[in-house]
Amino acid sequence: MNSADQSHNFATAGLPAETVGDVHVDHPRMTARNVDVFYGDKQAIDNVTLDIGEKQVISFIGPSGCGKSTFLRCLNRMNDTIDICRITGEIALDGQNIYDPKIDVVPLRARVGMVFQKPNPFPKSIFDNVAYGPRIHGIATSKDELNDIVESSLERAGLWNEVKDRLHQPGTGLSGGQQQRLCIARAIAVSPEVILMDEPCSALDPIATAKIEELIAELSSEYTIVIVTHSMQQAARVSQRTAYFHLGKLVEVGNTDQIFTNPQHEMTNNYITGRFG
Amino acid sequence: MSSLTLGIAILIISAAYFFVANRASSSQRAAGTKFHSLPHYYGLYAALLAFLPAFAILLVLAIGDDLVFRSLALDFVPDEVKASKNYKEVIVMAQITNVVDGINFGEQPDWVYAAAEAWKGWDATSTTLRTILVISLSLLGGMFAYRQVNPGFRSRNAVERIIMTILAASSAIAILTTIGIVFSVIFESLRFFALVPVSEFLFGTTWNPQFEGAERAGSGQMGLATYGSVPLFAGTFLISIVALTVSVPVGLFSAIYLSEYATPKVRAVVKPVMELLAGVPTVVYGFFAALTVAPFIRSTGMSLGLDVASESALAAGLVMGIMIIPFVSSLSDDVINAVPQALRDAAYGLGSTHSETVRQVVLPAALPGVVASILLAVSRAVGETMIVVMAAGLAANLSFNPLDAVTTVTSQIVTILVGDQEFESAKTLSAFALALTLIVITLGLNFVALQIVKKYREQYE
Ligand SMILES: Nc1ncnc2c1ncn2[C@@H]1O[C@H](COP(=O)(O)OP(=O)(O)OP(=O)(O)O)[C@@H](O)[C@H]1O
Ligand SMILES: [Mg+2]
Repeated sequence: MNSADQSHNFATAGLPAETVGDVHVDHPRMTARNVDVFYGDKQAIDNVTLDIGEKQVISFIGPSGCGKSTFLRCLNRMNDTIDICRITGEIALDGQNIYDPKIDVVPLRARVGMVFQKPNPFPKSIFDNVAYGPRIHGIATSKDELNDIVESSLERAGLWNEVKDRLHQPGTGLSGGQQQRLCIARAIAVSPEVILMDEPCSALDPIATAKIEELIAELSSEYTIVIVTHSMQQAARVSQRTAYFHLGKLVEVGNTDQIFTNPQHEMTNNYITGRFG
Repeated sequence: MSSLTLGIAILIISAAYFFVANRASSSQRAAGTKFHSLPHYYGLYAALLAFLPAFAILLVLAIGDDLVFRSLALDFVPDEVKASKNYKEVIVMAQITNVVDGINFGEQPDWVYAAAEAWKGWDATSTTLRTILVISLSLLGGMFAYRQVNPGFRSRNAVERIIMTILAASSAIAILTTIGIVFSVIFESLRFFALVPVSEFLFGTTWNPQFEGAERAGSGQMGLATYGSVPLFAGTFLISIVALTVSVPVGLFSAIYLSEYATPKVRAVVKPVMELLAGVPTVVYGFFAALTVAPFIRSTGMSLGLDVASESALAAGLVMGIMIIPFVSSLSDDVINAVPQALRDAAYGLGSTHSETVRQVVLPAALPGVVASILLAVSRAVGETMIVVMAAGLAANLSFNPLDAVTTVTSQIVTILVGDQEFESAKTLSAFALALTLIVITLGLNFVALQIVKKYREQYE
């Protein structure tokens, strides 16, 4: 879809030509410049430029199908696994273009980890789940070191006390919320710099959600976090910056307080006040 | 009426009851009565009751009447014929039924014609009786159901129960047949073991079945039959191992390629072509093995200075391996595809390479299915007969050298049971003992494989 095609669609009528708000930050960890994403002929992301600040939590919000997951998955090249997906523009991690042909996706994905919407622990033991990443990347040089990594990752994911007696039981035997924290532990076990989370709480009850949100707040002191969420309250609680997507466009981005109290663009306003989406 | 027309007749009666019962309940419903179930359930209930009992009786009678006639016809056989030395009931029956069917092989004794006439009479009576019985049963069943059409009757639940019964009966047929086969095999094997000691059969290393007192082939002397089954099982084992060394890796790797690496286009072509392999009749593989592969192996072996039999376990095993590739690949491909994408995403998201993902995440999750496909391959290899008969020979050599000619359990069973035979002989009965042992071994393998799967499976939701 280019903008000429979109003009006859009433929902797109108010889309801005440029993103409203400041897409830049002082200390960016990742930078996206003029990113377009296509699934076959269908455009899912249209000219998005955005900085992701170091050790900040940024949340992506927007109506279903607007391309939040698509854009998120571009940040660690998970879209490579989809044959028909094509990306143009530039996305850089620490100034280095991750779509450069010289870049190897394996270390990239170790640096930019991912937590998915549905908890997806491997059908292995809890220990093996967390140890998976360190093992394939050769992070631990000894058994003790591996044990330490597993323990500290589970600790940081707030799961250690619940599972320390059953490390060798299957990870799939945990509750949904525990599984999601296991997945977070698994992601941080490889010491990523950035963690991408795609609706990490959408399959969880309020108590498990609260735990994960607490966890995100703690992790944000060490990691750069990008979270996709459908819950405005969640975005408000956990993130410093918020980006509002609509039909593949980044409509508005700004500090979370400002987006929720004083949105500049009418569409953002409509969305957060629940008038559509 | 013939069985077929009777079947059609009760179908029509059932259809009629369906409409009548359906109408009865829907018109009362329209008048405001509240029924427990929807009208078509009353119709279905009536139709099922009109059809099922009548159909069951029809089946029983169609199979049963011949048996009754046969025993009745025996009364016509004169005692002196029965007493004669080469009297065979089967032959007498064939004489009579041939005349009944109007097939004439020369002049038959008078009592045969008498029996045939009587037989035709019974046939006519039984047909009339059968027609009356089946049709009236159908009408009565339907009527009974129709009388039950009233608001309180729970026809939906009744129909569900009947359907459940039909389904359960179908699976019971499968199970009962299997049990029947196993028991007949056990029974005949016991008769064999009355003639030949179990220990000789299980541990003897020479297999040389003979009719008692027959000349041992080529030796010019009366030989003793020996029933040591070890060479046969060793041969089966050897050929199966060769076949599995070919089919398991090739099948599994191609399944991995198809499900994880191939583009949809390649997959759309390759998968059906591979499955075509499974459709080739084994006899074709057999002569491929005998005429192409075996001579090739022989000449290659000769040029390397090896002594290769013209029929070898290697040739049969290789071709059998190719034959069972599709069994491994097709089933494995299905189970690998069934592994949730979320698990692959998780592995990729942690920075796994493609092959790490396959090895450490996809295959362990697909393990039970992969093992099942290998088990299927094993049972195909163990049970395959044609290729062995044609390419590995019939010599019961005890050898673990794949270049030797060996034979297998199944191909021995075939050679034992083909051609003239005396049912009571140890030779014929030995086929049952072989079959029984094979069944026990296959069951054992299945059990072991299940335990392995239980231990190593990684279960995903
Ligand atoms: N694998 C795919 N193949 C083709 N089109 C896709 C694919 N994945 C996503 N899309 C399309 O791209 C667009 C954006 O999808 P995306 O999943 O990024 O939306 P989203 O904002 O994450 O929605 P939600 O909030 O429902 O998760 C949608 O129109 C979707 O249909
Ligand atoms: Mg999404």
